[in-house]
Amino acid sequence: MQVLSSIGSQLVNVCSALLLLTCFAIVAQRRLSACVDLFALQSAFLVVTAALVAYLTGNQHIYIAAALTGVIKVIIIPRVLKKIIDRLNVKRELVMYINVQAGLLICGGLVMLAFFISQPIIPLGSLLTRDSLAIALAIVLIGLFTMIARQKAVTQLVGFLVMENGLFLGATAATHGMPLIVELGVFFDVLIAALIAGIYTNRLQDAFDSVDTSRLTALKE
Amino acid sequence: MLNLLWILLGGYVAGILLPFCLPQEPKAQNLMASVPAIVATSAGVVLGLLGLMSSEPVTGSLASTIPLLTLAIRLDSLAAFFVLTISVVGLAASIYAIGYGRHVEGRASVATLGALFNGYLLCMTFVVLADNGFFFLLAWELMSLLSYFLVVTEHEKADVRYAGVFYLIMTHVGTAFIVMAFLIFFQGAGSFSFEAFRHPGQPLYGGMKTLVFLMALIGFGTKAGIVPLHVWLPYAHPVAPSHVSAVMSGVMIKTAIYGLIRVYFDFFGGQFPWWWGFTVLFLGATSALLGVMYALMEHDLKRLLAFHSVENIGIILLGIGVGMIFQSYGLKELAALGLLAGLYHTINHAMFKALLFLGAGSLLHATHTRNMEEYGGLLRRMPWTGLFFLIGAVSISALPPTNGFVSEWLVFQSLFLGFQIPAVFLKLMLPIAAAILALTGVLALACFAKAFGIAFLAQPRSAHARHAEEVPVPMRIAMGFLAAVCVALGIAPMVVVPLLDRVVTPLAGISIARNILAIDGWALAPVNVEFSSLSTPVLALLLVALSLLGLALAVTFGGRLKPRRYKTWGCGLNLSPRMEYTATGFVQPIKRVFSTIYQPTVKLETEFLDESRYFAKRRHFEFHIELIFEKYLYDPLVAFFATLADRLKVIQAGSLHLYLTYIFVALIALLLLAV
Repeated sequence: MQVLSSIGSQLVNVCSALLLLTCFAIVAQRRLSACVDLFALQSAFLVVTAALVAYLTGNQHIYIAAALTGVIKVIIIPRVLKKIIDRLNVKRELVMYINVQAGLLICGGLVMLAFFISQPIIPLGSLLTRDSLAIALAIVLIGLFTMIARQKAVTQLVGFLVMENGLFLGATAATHGMPLIVELGVFFDVLIAALIAGIYTNRLQDAFDSVDTSRLTALKE
Repeated sequence: MLNLLWILLGGYVAGILLPFCLPQEPKAQNLMASVPAIVATSAGVVLGLLGLMSSEPVTGSLASTIPLLTLAIRLDSLAAFFVLTISVVGLAASIYAIGYGRHVEGRASVATLGALFNGYLLCMTFVVLADNGFFFLLAWELMSLLSYFLVVTEHEKADVRYAGVFYLIMTHVGTAFIVMAFLIFFQGAGSFSFEAFRHPGQPLYGGMKTLVFLMALIGFGTKAGIVPLHVWLPYAHPVAPSHVSAVMSGVMIKTAIYGLIRVYFDFFGGQFPWWWGFTVLFLGATSALLGVMYALMEHDLKRLLAFHSVENIGIILLGIGVGMIFQSYGLKELAALGLLAGLYHTINHAMFKALLFLGAGSLLHATHTRNMEEYGGLLRRMPWTGLFFLIGAVSISALPPTNGFVSEWLVFQSLFLGFQIPAVFLKLMLPIAAAILALTGVLALACFAKAFGIAFLAQPRSAHARHAEEVPVPMRIAMGFLAAVCVALGIAPMVVVPLLDRVVTPLAGISIARNILAIDGWALAPVNVEFSSLSTPVLALLLVALSLLGLALAVTFGGRLKPRRYKTWGCGLNLSPRMEYTATGFVQPIKRVFSTIYQPTVKLETEFLDESRYFAKRRHFEFHIELIFEKYLYDPLVAFFATLADRLKVIQAGSLHLYLTYIFVALIALLLLAV
């Protein structure tokens, strides 16, 4: 039993690390469709992590949450995003506020920051997933950073969804899953947010002939 | 008694819902809103009277799912008094609304107006019934919001929208202060129930107590319209439909008086230093004087009445303030007298101000203008409205035998009795306050001589006034009812005083009805009969007898009394309305005397004929007075906030990325701080 738990904990850590790795990949990736694919991959890792946690803790309702993650984040949202990309015909992000190399360095710094911040919290929990909390925080920060660094609305949306993945990982890892009703609500929110952002992107294209959100400054008086 | 409360609640709720059941029929909608309101307010009148009579407060409560909020009500004598006042005015306004509906049709949705009006009365009733701080604030806030919507009934007009926004901002600033006061109470009490406020676990100490005093004064003072927080009142009250103005000016501002008494006398149990009372007294005197002075300069009838509300709130505060001073010196009987005078004036002002606003509404209905300079000669065309307006004007000018006289007399008495206070400063100040009150009374009389004379006498000054017709019957009934109440409250103080005494007794801790009522209850004598006494029934009889005597003398010795109809003699000229005394002309002397306060600007431009400098072709006269509080207090304040907002614009660059960066930086900084 001890062995199983320790192996399980290792596995959860591995999966969390893979989630973090995909984050870096997203930051480094310029092609939009590849970004979306990476997000789908990250969500798939999240499904595996959640299922592992569910198996190890015996909380049945995390399975449901994992299944929902699979359906919504691995299948539906990536499809919606792909459609938007096709319609708008934007394949690449040419201009970035921060170039890829600097971005990766900053992300590395953010990961260190996340570990530093969660240091005092980690010993408090009886976690089978010691480092997952820090990783989750790092993913949230990187997601936010992606939103700042990129100009296209689609990549900003991906950044937002990455943040959400980080939050979900944190919730699963730290609390063994929130109450099911909360998780359902969050899923619904994310789905709606993604749809609204999709519509917003389309509108942006219509109004400015571009999905570059930096053009929004034109709205100021 | 709880049954009555259910009737009241049911009536108002029916009045909110029913009007929407009949789309496209404004007349029926109006009835559907007014009739339930009449039922509910009648229940309220009975409830108030029973509450005043009963010796034990009636309580009831309903738990809610919201933390800290219990829907608790408590009908003690103070609450009952205010329920009664609200319901009587509400009743008159609801009857009036039946006739006034036609005026509203086409300008606004009758159904919405009716529903809002019902909701408004309901919330106001619960403000005074609430026995839980949270519930009180809820009702208070709803009352303010609903009254905002009522104010902007005719929202197509820009000035109405301006008035609405002004009111909304002021009332919310006021509410913020009340919330803070209640939160301080909550700190000590650990609960929002009023019972806990009265007997807190940790009583408030000096500084905190003073803070609560000031917060309550500012918060409730904003709603009451105490100078200098009165600025919203002359904007918001006139633009609302007239029966709503009547309720706003008549009773809504009185809920603030209720709040002040509840906090100072009930929650603090009358334990406070003398300067609290003096502050209230000072603000009362200022409000009374400035209110009436600005009213004099007003030619918009409803604005004039709104300024008079400021004046009368001042008079009420004079009574309450002097009561508070006596209370802090332990002179319980005199404290009770001051409070009683204040409360008496509260109900009186509610009645005559509502009556006058309804009268102004009738004039507006008949002539389609609020400008007095376009009235004139209306007494012949609208005799009933004229009579009722005259009764209201006599009451507000505090002339016997009407109600305004009795309550102002009582305020005077309590001010004169200030010589019993063992402090020289106050001994000097109270007579000054009495002198200010006297000046106020005289100016009010001048103001209503102007209002009535210009509006109702002489010849019509415009086509509107020439074609005016008497208003529909329901409106006349409503005004007649209030006029009757005004006279009754004046002639029968021996009935009113014992009832008010029941309100005052638990607050001041002493019953004084027996002391005040002298000579088998036919006269009022606050100290003893030698010092001063007043018997309004006798006064009324004397007035009637003297006028009859005059008539008799005239008939006996005056010779032939044969009516002759002929035009007014005008030295051979044909008289035209342009020769009449104008409202502006009437107040000219007063404007001169008080020019330091008014700071009037007069502009006279004359255009001469080209041929000669001695013949004027056209003259343009312009005159306006400076609203000092707006100019020197509010405008700088608004300018300050506008500048501040402009400065803050720098960080609002319009860039999404920049905003995200703000969030990101803030997040990281906070996370680092937490470590």
